[in-house]
Amino acid sequence: MKLLVCVKQIHDPDVPVRVNTDSNWVEFDGDAYVMNRFDGFALEEALQLREAFPGLRIDVVTVGPERADAVLRRSLGMGADHGIHILTESGGYQSPFATAAWIAAYATGCNYDLILTGVMSGDDMNGQVGPLAAEILHLPCATAVIFRRMMPESGRIYVERELEGGLRDALEMELPALLTVQSGINRPRYPSLSKMLRANKHAVDVIPSGSLGSPSIHLSVSQTLLPQKMRAGRVLEGNPREKACRLLDILQTRSMLASENSAC
Amino acid sequence: MLNQSIVVIAEHVEGQVRPVTYELLAFAAALQKEMPSAKIKIVVIGDAMDAMADNIARKTGQGVFYIHVPGLSGYNAEVYKIILAGVLEELQASHVCTAHSSRGLDFAPGLAVRLGCACITGIEAIVKRNQKISFRRAICGGKIMADIQTDSRMALLCVLPGSFAPDSGESAAAGTVMKRALECAPQKSLSTGVIHKSLDAAAVAEADVIVAAGRGIGDKDHLDLIFRLAALFPRSAVGGSRIVCDSGWLDYDRQIGVTGSTVAPSLYIACGISGAVQHVSGMRGSGFVVAINSDPNAAIFNVSDVCIVEDLATFIPILIETHEKRRAEKEA
Repeated sequence: MKLLVCVKQIHDPDVPVRVNTDSNWVEFDGDAYVMNRFDGFALEEALQLREAFPGLRIDVVTVGPERADAVLRRSLGMGADHGIHILTESGGYQSPFATAAWIAAYATGCNYDLILTGVMSGDDMNGQVGPLAAEILHLPCATAVIFRRMMPESGRIYVERELEGGLRDALEMELPALLTVQSGINRPRYPSLSKMLRANKHAVDVIPSGSLGSPSIHLSVSQTLLPQKMRAGRVLEGNPREKACRLLDILQTRSMLASENSAC
Repeated sequence: MLNQSIVVIAEHVEGQVRPVTYELLAFAAALQKEMPSAKIKIVVIGDAMDAMADNIARKTGQGVFYIHVPGLSGYNAEVYKIILAGVLEELQASHVCTAHSSRGLDFAPGLAVRLGCACITGIEAIVKRNQKISFRRAICGGKIMADIQTDSRMALLCVLPGSFAPDSGESAAAGTVMKRALECAPQKSLSTGVIHKSLDAAAVAEADVIVAAGRGIGDKDHLDLIFRLAALFPRSAVGGSRIVCDSGWLDYDRQIGVTGSTVAPSLYIACGISGAVQHVSGMRGSGFVVAINSDPNAAIFNVSDVCIVEDLATFIPILIETHEKRRAEKEA
């Protein structure tokens, strides 16, 4: 069995972000990057499958600029067998249609039994790359998978998709298939030091995205902007103690505290 | 273009239409203002959905196209994609409105590939600039909004629940229902039904005050602060964003947001919560919202009445201490 896990490198969500000078994308205040949190659950699912079915091979693919190599190293450090880097020019908006088309172009003919990825990315938040790639590859697809059970006798997989309000869609799918994995399905492991050291020496296949064709990307950004304030958004000033007093005053005026307070 | 249409895909679970369907209709109506020649059509797919199709037509006054698929009691992505690929071409759809829900996100992108057209998810608003329509969606955890446009002949649009208020009341004249039977069986998947996971969400659902923890609490040990803060308020409960539940710090029963509980307490105190749409849509109905976050640009501040830019590990103890001191002074 061969698995492919699609991972993305994103800016650390704690790095300040703002609208860029041309107001057509964003720029970040720093160079801290992390693996997209949601993809960690997909990779952990693959690792757990390999524990259940020894001999299974786990490839990890990423689409991104040179710096995205680090997310492959981390994946190898977590236990993946091999990394594939679809290399893009850095910066700017990237349509999910391009990302999916390149992953699909790479995966065509590789005979993966199962392709896994996160339910969405924490930066662009499209939730599209998985289901787009599945359709390009003519694979059955289930998104937001919160439970899965392999059915090796029948070459199928049973999955439960998370719906809103505590409901789940249950289905069986033929392999090969693609799943996007919901967060919380497992607890992703940390890379081990010994594996990280080995990972840094491991060869990664680098494929320029240009060699995988130029897909229709369909989407473009006309403008980026800050979100509108939906409420008063009164910012309390002062030192922490002054802010605490102001907050207690506000809550007291609204009779929201357990007992009456005197002003301080 | 003449004869083009804006198609709304009705969302239903276990034979019940989901309220988001009527929000999609409000979205479609807003879109129609920008392209007055387009007609709105509603598509219902399933088996034994006649009453639902009639109800939607009566309530909305719009034409309903009911695709009767024998044997399709619920949802199956393969069947949806096959059926809709044909139906949308036939209806000459220029825009297709579906929910940014688990189901909508499951079939819309794949359907776009099948139709060779665009798909945009997480849409919160329609924007017109220089005669071109864009769709506004959140990126970077809600800190930035991006207006996305497409030149595609058809666009599948996943609209974020809670973004467009449904038209209340019934239409004066019922729309017509066109029914057509189509046989379609999935080849590579078999849907086996909907499972109910028992979530005991009573604690957060009934609370008058919710103190909610997010990723910003940083350390499980800080959860104690959240509980102590909640204890200051009568009829209070502790809730959390998905990430806190994913980490095992809080039970999923306490999760607030799209995949957890939707709450509307009179007071909501968001501690270390970034304010991504998935969380906000579960708490935006709260009476009064206070947010404590060390990041001055956190998206949660856009939906807050009072914003406190502080590290919660230092601020909450001061807040509790100040409260207790004031109470003691009053009693003295």
